[in-house]
Amino acid sequence: MNRLAAKYLRPSQIPTKACHGCGIGMIENWLLQAIDELGLKQEDVIFGTGIGCVGRQTFATWGGDNFGATHGRALAVATGLKLAQPHKKYLIVVGDGDAASIGTSHLVHAARRNLGVTVICEDNMGYESTGGQFSPTTPAGYVTNSSPYGMVEPGFDPCDVVQAAGATFVAETTATQWHQTVKIVKKALQNDGFSFVHVRFPCNENFGAYALGTRDTLKNLEWIYEHTQGRKTDGSESDFTWQTGIRHDASNSKPEFTSLLRSMNAKVRAKMAEEAKGR
Amino acid sequence: MATTVRIPVKDGLVAPWMDWERRCPDGRRLLEAGTYALTEGAIAAGCRVFAGYPITPATDIAEYMSRRLPQVNGYYMQCEDELAGMHACAGASLGGLKAMTATSGPGYTLMHDAYGWALTNEIPLVVVDAMRVGPISGITGAPGQGEFYVARYCTHGGNFETIVLSPSSVQEAFWLTIDAFNLSERFRTPVTILTDQVVSDMWEDLFIPGDYDALDFVVPRKHNLMMPFYPVGTAEIDVPPNLIGQGTGVCVSAYTHTEEGYDIEEMEAQWAQTYRLVNKVRHHRGELTRYEAMGLEDADVIAVAYGANARTVKTGVLEARRQGLRAGFVRPITLWPFIDELFERDAHYVVCELNYDGQLVREVQRAAPDKTKVHFMGKSAELHTVAEVVAGLEGVARRGRLPELPYIWTQVR
Amino acid sequence: MALFKAEKKAPKGPAGLWDVVIGEDMCKACGFCLSVCPTDVFAYRTTANRLGWFPMYVAHEENCVGCNLCYQICPDFCIDVAPKDSAGAALAGPPGRR
Repeated sequence: MNRLAAKYLRPSQIPTKACHGCGIGMIENWLLQAIDELGLKQEDVIFGTGIGCVGRQTFATWGGDNFGATHGRALAVATGLKLAQPHKKYLIVVGDGDAASIGTSHLVHAARRNLGVTVICEDNMGYESTGGQFSPTTPAGYVTNSSPYGMVEPGFDPCDVVQAAGATFVAETTATQWHQTVKIVKKALQNDGFSFVHVRFPCNENFGAYALGTRDTLKNLEWIYEHTQGRKTDGSESDFTWQTGIRHDASNSKPEFTSLLRSMNAKVRAKMAEEAKGR
Repeated sequence: MATTVRIPVKDGLVAPWMDWERRCPDGRRLLEAGTYALTEGAIAAGCRVFAGYPITPATDIAEYMSRRLPQVNGYYMQCEDELAGMHACAGASLGGLKAMTATSGPGYTLMHDAYGWALTNEIPLVVVDAMRVGPISGITGAPGQGEFYVARYCTHGGNFETIVLSPSSVQEAFWLTIDAFNLSERFRTPVTILTDQVVSDMWEDLFIPGDYDALDFVVPRKHNLMMPFYPVGTAEIDVPPNLIGQGTGVCVSAYTHTEEGYDIEEMEAQWAQTYRLVNKVRHHRGELTRYEAMGLEDADVIAVAYGANARTVKTGVLEARRQGLRAGFVRPITLWPFIDELFERDAHYVVCELNYDGQLVREVQRAAPDKTKVHFMGKSAELHTVAEVVAGLEGVARRGRLPELPYIWTQVR
Repeated sequence: MALFKAEKKAPKGPAGLWDVVIGEDMCKACGFCLSVCPTDVFAYRTTANRLGWFPMYVAHEENCVGCNLCYQICPDFCIDVAPKDSAGAALAGPPGRR
């Protein structure tokens, strides 16, 4: 395996449960590069994941401490865990279902509090683990297992939501932007506050099969590339283009949530000590 | 596998806190509410994180915690909902801090997912459910006992046992909270304290120890830093809980897991995990026995109640005895695992519960030798009055059945 | 323009400067490395690995120009590319199951 996988991952969980050509492993490879280039050790980083493809295929691959929460609740667990272990780096690796659907409440409040974690929202534009139903990030009109006549619900970009809630670092990349993703994740990890990195990636088994009409791994990754660049392979415009890059960088400009509580405690206890002396 | 623990039972109050007050070097006497006692009990036990959402009648616990925890360098977190609150408590406990949440019925049902996560991963934590009348919001300011079964079956999927305790006075709430934390550490499991709106909100005489650091009966937090993180296939207790943050490589998840904690889809693994989750409680029922009983040797009719209404029911029993009836009284303090042995006597049982659908009564029917001699006095929104209890006991003792009493429900099916 | 170019170029400059290793036991034959490689390094094996895929193997290591695209695009942590004789030389497979 590659040297970073040997350095950081849990050998018994590699190869992962991911389907062939799935983007989850690619993105995890880039996370390892970011971790390595920042000089972080395995014990410095805690991975938290959720349910679904991103959750399951990432969970336990990390060789250090990691948790796989119930569906949508990785950030709720991380909020408590960060209180007790504030000096670790947290990578919360969740899918579009976990972050942008069932777990959006916790996402919003973690961003509002400026909780010091980095959320990697790996988005395959549907609930692929359960077979390929649509999700709030499925593009308009696309056919999925539960939108056989085309997706009619308006979708949204979770980046808009977390930015509005007060996140201090927000960025978008895709599965064909390896160098950018590594650079962006490094910046995200260096924000002592809430960082959100949204990475869109291909699913061959389900989204590819039903929405794109093929399970061909090369064609599906090309589809991602086309919508990243805005141009199809034949030169014509793609039906939509994703905006990528750093959308908002206010890193380290606001106090991190648990540090606020620690400061408050210090003040309260100092006052108590003074009052005790005065008596 | 076939280990059946038998609990010998006797009259009196059986609980570890019988001699705790004596063991406190000093303290003060206050007039305080149950919520205050529950809060101070938690802090005395070493609780340093509260994450929850305000709800009547548990709101005061949240407010007291918000004031007290910063004073002891702990953290109060008001989460966006109870679901987040309990997950955050589990996260904090995993990170090394003792944690508690407090809610009522509508919040307790939102905690099912988190409860399962804490149970399966053997994470210590304490959950207070101050019950009120239901279903759903019901009557906001009235006591209920509608979560008797819900507290046992507090998550989905089966294959687990739970520990549930219930206090019936403000002083007992204080000691029992420390006990709940101790059990959660020893058994590596969330423990539910089922209280109700009366025990939570009423004011009574309360003794509080002066120096919490000097309490020799508090089980301190220790951590397990090596494999096996989950000794599946064994029923040992007093195994320290796991810790995230020391780089031990522990895995914590929602799935059926191996000793290391990662997911595995094999029947053998399910057996081994279930063996541990169920038997660590069942094989150690002796460590979980807390109850109050009177007349187990000689009573013809035994009243059964727990929580707030046990106070009036006990007074009713004492009054009935004064009137010459051979009446007895059983107050389970440990609700789960249910102490079947308390109901072995072949007598009539009058089960007084604060619900109309009948929950505790079903367990007593199951445990008693003759279920036709188990009678149900269900009442909702108010405690049983002493007169009602005496009338009920008299009716059963003299005529073998309960009299018709207004707003007392007697049907179980 | 496309991500994957069918046409392969011949490598410029001296050959054989790079170690390329694939953990064939872990490969799921997605085809990305072969398609993204600008020269002609990879090919499919004709016997399956224990996962049931016909894995990729390093057929022409001498064609590698060290662009590392294969390393970046492999979804299964299989590939390592390092300068020959470097201290951080690549590893061939998972170092034992835990």
